[in-house]
Amino acid sequence: MVGQYDENLLSDMLPIYYTKFFPQNVFCRWLSCGSSPQPLANRELSFTLADDVYLRYLSISNQKELQTLFQKKCPHKLDIGAVYNTKPSIARHDSVVLARELVFDIDLTDYDEVRTCCQEAKVCQKCWKFMVVACEILDKALKDDFGFQSILWVFSGRRGIHCWVSDYEARTLDSPGRGAVADYLCLIMGGENQSKKVHLGSDNLHTSIRRALNIIDKYFEEILQDQEFFATADGLKGLLKLIPDEALRTQVEKKLEKLPESSLERWKHFVNVYEGYCRENGFAMRKIKYLVEEIKIQYCYPRLDVNVTKGFNHLLKSPFSIHPKTGKVSIVFKPNNARRMKLDEVPTIHSLLDDSAADSAQHQNNMKTSVKNFQEVVFSLEKSEAMRRKTDANISIDF
Amino acid sequence: MDLNIRRKSTRAPVTGSLIETYPHDLQMYKIPPTENISLQEFETLALERLTLLRSLATATTLKGLRAYSDEWKEYVISDLRNQGLKYYSKLFEISRCGATEADLQARRKDHIAHFILRLAYCRNEELRRWFVARELELFKMRFINMSGDAVETFFKLNNLCYNNISEEEKTEIITFLRESTSHPNIENMKFYKVKFFEVLDLVKLRKVFLSGGYAYIPHKDFVSVLSAQFRTHLRQSLAVACHHLGEIEQDERLVCLLKGLHQSYTGNNYADTKAVVPIESLDSLSVKSFPLCMRQLHDQLRLAHHLKHGGRLQYGLFMKGIGVTLEDSLRFWREEFTKIMDLDKFEKQYAYNVRYNYGKEGSKKNYSPFSCLRIINETVGPGDCHGCPYRHCDVSNLKNKLQGYGLDPQAVNDIVDVTKKGHYQVACSKYFDAVHSIDLGLGINHPNQFFEESQKLIKGEIKVEIKKENKATVKKEALEEMDFDEISEWN
Repeated sequence: MVGQYDENLLSDMLPIYYTKFFPQNVFCRWLSCGSSPQPLANRELSFTLADDVYLRYLSISNQKELQTLFQKKCPHKLDIGAVYNTKPSIARHDSVVLARELVFDIDLTDYDEVRTCCQEAKVCQKCWKFMVVACEILDKALKDDFGFQSILWVFSGRRGIHCWVSDYEARTLDSPGRGAVADYLCLIMGGENQSKKVHLGSDNLHTSIRRALNIIDKYFEEILQDQEFFATADGLKGLLKLIPDEALRTQVEKKLEKLPESSLERWKHFVNVYEGYCRENGFAMRKIKYLVEEIKIQYCYPRLDVNVTKGFNHLLKSPFSIHPKTGKVSIVFKPNNARRMKLDEVPTIHSLLDDSAADSAQHQNNMKTSVKNFQEVVFSLEKSEAMRRKTDANISIDF
Repeated sequence: MDLNIRRKSTRAPVTGSLIETYPHDLQMYKIPPTENISLQEFETLALERLTLLRSLATATTLKGLRAYSDEWKEYVISDLRNQGLKYYSKLFEISRCGATEADLQARRKDHIAHFILRLAYCRNEELRRWFVARELELFKMRFINMSGDAVETFFKLNNLCYNNISEEEKTEIITFLRESTSHPNIENMKFYKVKFFEVLDLVKLRKVFLSGGYAYIPHKDFVSVLSAQFRTHLRQSLAVACHHLGEIEQDERLVCLLKGLHQSYTGNNYADTKAVVPIESLDSLSVKSFPLCMRQLHDQLRLAHHLKHGGRLQYGLFMKGIGVTLEDSLRFWREEFTKIMDLDKFEKQYAYNVRYNYGKEGSKKNYSPFSCLRIINETVGPGDCHGCPYRHCDVSNLKNKLQGYGLDPQAVNDIVDVTKKGHYQVACSKYFDAVHSIDLGLGINHPNQFFEESQKLIKGEIKVEIKKENKATVKKEALEEMDFDEISEWN
């Protein structure tokens, strides 16, 4: 129903959406829990109004104020910032950031050099699979490696996903800490001028990389067939550029050119040639020991926007905000359900408000599920916050 | 104030109390010294420690030695000996817990001098970073070279208690430890469990096994835990020291001394320029007077009429630094960007950033153009064209680019060779020589310095015919101007 969406109608529809559909109560609980021990009022919110007027340093102290602010300003987009030592509107530039969820932002535009189905702002069910892989790998790493539990996954409304980690340790992590976590999770590095963006060296592969590769393997052939990475001349060139060893590159080039265009076929033959080459030239192994793994990672591993993660006070679009360009709701989803998520089933403001729209019932239903997903995360966060406060209290009594 | 009395008290220290204050060679510098010392000793100690820290910086930056390697250590030790700082060379070589008079005196000097330099280096972020980096190198080196029993004493003295994990627990995770820890023979090592944020340097490099928020480290990696603590503590202490600077500066005798100490390190930050460069000349300037990092950004902008955020920041601040006015800068970006977008979109989404760079928006700081160090350490992601081309380009790409610019093939090979070895700034200097057809061998550490040197050359302020002796002096001066910073991070 994207065709029916009209940005100009937003100002009329949003007040109803905020009152009737936006989960204000859970939202406030999530934010205040994530701000504690500071009060909710110290948390920065920012609004983008019609015509891109930008309001920063807003804050609320309870649900009532949120509702009033929504009705008064009617924000087209809602962003969430950091928790300050005082009400953000008072000190503005002089206030000190005390806490902030650890956030991750993955955008499909960063996959433009590998995806073949869409480019730039366009997305389809095929490229959504990159997000499925990204979500699974990150979720697992955050839970298993870092021990985080309150992890919220949000569809950004157009071409990416956001992840919010609300655990106390994550919220209070300092800048170097955020940097280190981001670097730990970031395997693809380099810009326009670097073709090969993954370098795994020749030592043992780190446990987290092995785990990520296992996840990629579940999807690799499927994505390969969807995207046909190596079917075109350009695609093939892209693969060849990733092979640092000249002799191997020539062998691969000769072999693959003759093959039919199927990427899966070409990939299998590439792996064959590579393995044969490694058997014959043991000495060359060091440089290309993990070549197959490196290529898989370059094509499928999550491409994080590390600046968002590293910045302590980077603003990020709130869950359940409406994407002003698509009208889609930034819904909360469960990571193990990402695979089954259909982009055209994501509720839009239009279909929610218009009962007669063809997909209205389904969208309303999906909206409810999404709010439920949100609630689940918030409940568990509240529980662990209560536990933390109790332990803290006990420790201080012991002294 | 009677200086004589002070001197007396330092000359006859009570040894009994010294051993209590300084039981160990390696210190965390938690408690500041409280004794009275003479101004003369104050000055001597400060200068001696400065020599030590400079020696460390020279070893990493100028000699290009890998920090903590044997050659690095040897260089510093022999340098300290040559400078007559035997007590520092001893402390640097190995840390013990001896109790001779010489040991105690060395520790006392080490302690006092560290705190004096805190005062000299707390006044701005640039200085603090330099100081913290050096002190951290020193601390790490001394920790690594601690004798076995000294390690135990050190942990005891500093109330550091960590329990190793049981054999059963270790057996359970041994495969993961083997995969994720970068030491051989981990079978024979005891492992300890610490929170992941205590060993961020290992996390960053993926050199430690993480599980449930804990990092599993062998004894050897404790240097990470301690240096992280040391760093945090030092950073906080510097902030506190800076706060109290006003009180200290009421004593004029100290003011001159403290301010003079670090002066050789505050290079130009190019935040304010007097020159005015019209944007019409950018195309021609970019060919000769722009370093490669800026030239490629300029070319990319002309070609694609767009740059991503990192590129806009790096190039925008550089332009400000060479003397493009805010109005010109706005016009320049507008003209390019509006070739692919509406004027409205540009004004709303991009003009803010241009004004921001000039300190007209947001926190209204006058931002300095990025130094080489900053650029080399930039994060460069998909679609980005900024960063240092010698670090962030494939060798083949770099080669094509340089050949495309019509550089002499020999020069191209030279540049590519040093790039491969990781000497990015040397590569930049060679590029400078190649585009100017000259052999200067400047030490380039700031894109705006590249620009200024080039302009001086073109305008004939530097004599071009260089004899051998002249060349050597130019080189030396350039090196001395270098901004020694946390270069070890990208080694």
